Amino acid sequence: MNTAPPLLARRAGGPAKRAVATGSALVLLLAGCGGSPTATAPQATTAGGPTAAEKLYAEVNGMTGQQRRDKLVPLAEKEGTLDLYTSMTSDVVDVVIKAFEDQYNVTVNLYRAGSETVLQRVVQEQKAHYQGNDVVETNATELFDLNTEGVLATYDGERRRMVPEAGRQEGWTATRFNLFAPSWNTKLVTPEQAPKTWEDLADPKWDGKLSMELSDSDWYLTLYGYWKKQGKTDDEINKIFEGMAKGAKVVKGHTVQGQLLSAGQFAVAASNYSYIVGQAKAKGAPVDYLPYVEPVIARPNGIGLMKTAKHPAAAMLFTDWLLQEGQALLVKQGLTPAIVEGDDPLKDVEIIPIDVEELTKNGDEWNKRYDQVISNGEQVDGN
Amino acid sequence: MITASPTAPARERAMPGWLRRVATPKTLIIVVVAGLIGYLALVPLYYLIWGTFFDANGFTMGGFARAYGDPRVGGMIGNSLWFAIGAAVLSLAVGTALAYLNVRTDVPFKGLFFAASIIPLIIPGILYTIAWIFLASPDIGLLNKVIEPIFGPGFFDVFTVWGMVWVEGLHLSPIVFLLMVAAFRSMDPSLEESALMSGASRWQVFRRVTMPLTRPAIVAAVLIMVVRSLESFEVPALLGLQNGIYVFTSRIYFVLRTYPPDLAAAGALAVGLLVLAVIGVAISNLVGRSSKNYQTVTGKGFRPRPMELGKWRPVMGGAIVVYFFLTVVGPLLVLLYTSLLKFYQAPSTEAFASMSLDNYSELFHISAATTALKNSLLLGVGSATLVMALMAVGAWMVVRSRIPGRQLVDYFSFTPLVVPGLVLGLALSFVYLRSPVPIYGTIFILLIAYCTRYMPYGMRYAVTSMHQISSELEESAQVSGASWWQTFRRVLLPLLSPGLLAGWIYILVVSFRELSSSILLYSPGNEVLSILIFEQYENGQFTVLAALGVVMVLTLAVLVVIAYKLGAKVGLRQD
Repeated sequence: MNTAPPLLARRAGGPAKRAVATGSALVLLLAGCGGSPTATAPQATTAGGPTAAEKLYAEVNGMTGQQRRDKLVPLAEKEGTLDLYTSMTSDVVDVVIKAFEDQYNVTVNLYRAGSETVLQRVVQEQKAHYQGNDVVETNATELFDLNTEGVLATYDGERRRMVPEAGRQEGWTATRFNLFAPSWNTKLVTPEQAPKTWEDLADPKWDGKLSMELSDSDWYLTLYGYWKKQGKTDDEINKIFEGMAKGAKVVKGHTVQGQLLSAGQFAVAASNYSYIVGQAKAKGAPVDYLPYVEPVIARPNGIGLMKTAKHPAAAMLFTDWLLQEGQALLVKQGLTPAIVEGDDPLKDVEIIPIDVEELTKNGDEWNKRYDQVISNGEQVDGN
Repeated sequence: MITASPTAPARERAMPGWLRRVATPKTLIIVVVAGLIGYLALVPLYYLIWGTFFDANGFTMGGFARAYGDPRVGGMIGNSLWFAIGAAVLSLAVGTALAYLNVRTDVPFKGLFFAASIIPLIIPGILYTIAWIFLASPDIGLLNKVIEPIFGPGFFDVFTVWGMVWVEGLHLSPIVFLLMVAAFRSMDPSLEESALMSGASRWQVFRRVTMPLTRPAIVAAVLIMVVRSLESFEVPALLGLQNGIYVFTSRIYFVLRTYPPDLAAAGALAVGLLVLAVIGVAISNLVGRSSKNYQTVTGKGFRPRPMELGKWRPVMGGAIVVYFFLTVVGPLLVLLYTSLLKFYQAPSTEAFASMSLDNYSELFHISAATTALKNSLLLGVGSATLVMALMAVGAWMVVRSRIPGRQLVDYFSFTPLVVPGLVLGLALSFVYLRSPVPIYGTIFILLIAYCTRYMPYGMRYAVTSMHQISSELEESAQVSGASWWQTFRRVLLPLLSPGLLAGWIYILVVSFRELSSSILLYSPGNEVLSILIFEQYENGQFTVLAALGVVMVLTLAVLVVIAYKLGAKVGLRQD
């Protein structure tokens, strides 16, 4: 028995080793057939001419009013399904989908995730020529990237032309805005003490009581650009942000920030979404964001049609509908719609949109700078 | 050790003989298992390595420069190591002590152990961490309010590295507990008894006999704990950032946040972890393999008998009650309390007056809730069973066989531990979007993701148990004419069952929380519970989230009780 094992073991080992080798070969084969797995170069999904979906879009883009609906509804109901990818929160999107399905005989398949994940998912699928979704509704930044990848089709119509200019972008159209505004705990901050301007947040009285969010570099770059335009020097602007960051409590996630604000972990949150604070306020939590500190910074969320849509008529009908009937629904859910009809509650409030173009061009740079600002308030290179 | 198997006579010359030898159940099973482990591990690893070292222009080390070039990297590594080692030591001490008391002594309140050891694992990290903020924040912490008259304001501060170590260590201690329970169950108490008879004190016995015998389990626990804490995201993000304490994962988060995600930098960070992990696995094998020292399950019959604690019994009982209150009752009460409110507020008559079950009824109105629960159960049970079955064979190959290259199986099964969840999701969607078999868009892609993610834990649990089983048992079975498969099924599997069951429970429980790859890979109709949690979190519905957490704890606690009851019938029984 002492001599037998090595021989037998070697025999048993042969196939096992081969299996391991076959396993790896299989992986290499599978992975290899798509070229480099991480290549970022956009692959043209529509190498030759417009897709069938694009032809339909082009035809309908010129139509208006009832004629347009009459064209789309029968086609959409014949398709019967809509594949929607969105980063809209589930409480809102559930209401939206239900209303759409009640109105039309179209079933909506929903994929919901954070905006970065939605972007990843669409890009992965498009590169593999997989027709996962017909329409995508998400944050401006991600839509910009998707348009750069060349997967979004041109959409036009009377509803789009009613959207403010900042929301009419190549490949996508704004549907709603998230508003960044300072908010405070009303048990810890009286209305007189509450911040009146963004500059107030740098006041040393907030040291150790102000919270900033980890990933709000888009808010940072927009406010930075706004102050620059107002004639402030880089040094002055950096000083204000340093003042805010001094003793700031950095939090990851706006929801947690809202929770901790109402629990009194800090007195003021620099850049939470107004709707999150509004929801908590509606439930009776001791928080407020009114009157607005101006300018309110608005991050557009928009919708884009896929060039490769399997259900192009349903996609277009949903887009039209979301910009028309859907807008009132969004208002009911406490969101800020892209198209304001009738009374505008934000009429006298100065609103500036996120500088999406700067964000897509130099987002990395701004990320790094914001990261530096919040990490220790150390000197940031002015440029 | 392999012995001559009667089904494989040594005939070297003709093809039929070769074929017959290859086609034995043993080689088939080994080939399939090795193939699967290799396949599951290599897909994400290949994607990660490729992304780290190659870009559009060929080979590059740019990722390393971006990942480690940050001027704060020194402090970050320092914080990371302090945090990871601290959490590992704490969870090891707590988990081992609890396991020892539970299995080997007549300590009172054994029923509490169960809850104390499993519940922290079930509560999603984000809820557990926030519950601790509500308990031990210097500004609003309830514990601080209670002790303020004696110790002054802000005695506990959870927003420090020590606070992070505390929360993470307690949250991870169930992994150690499960590993060590399995190890202690399979230990022959006669060794300890002889030491006691020879005049050693109980402490000496514990230190000089008990601990050395469980060294493979301890090494496995340390290995998993350190890597897990290095990767942990929720605790550093929620507790560390408030005071500017940055760790490794904050970097991974930053580099993956941009578009296109900086896979090279994320990969470079993961490669750093990989190197640590490979060294760890090598040490673990060196320690485990060196001799028969750890083989406590031998041909000699034994029955683990609890040790009498004597006058220490009430002391230990008291310690357990305190621990139970700290790790389970405290956070769970905070969750329960929060789940009954409209928004979180410190306890007051007002708060109690506003309590209702609204959040629970809201849960039942979430359209996907039942589907998600069903899918999570299916995936949890499915991946736990598959992984433990694969790893039982895998562990046999690594520990017992003399197959050349067997160490590779061990390394491969461990690598998914260092692959960030998002990268795993990207790798899988990349492969299966191009696969002719329609797996993408079905629940099977989630099953593959879960099996890959939990393979490392399964392997550690299985290998640790395998180290304890003496090879003489297999040898005697084979001498008596049993085939390899019979031996494996009738001798090894029952002996391995405490370890396999512990691994199974661990995987079941944590799979309910898996989010980072699920969120990218799920499709309509295949929602899982963790995605609902994420949605409630995004909605800002923290109180509903707390309700969901309470429901999850109850569901999984029932499941785990059933598993233990069933498992007790198979494995070694206690008195």
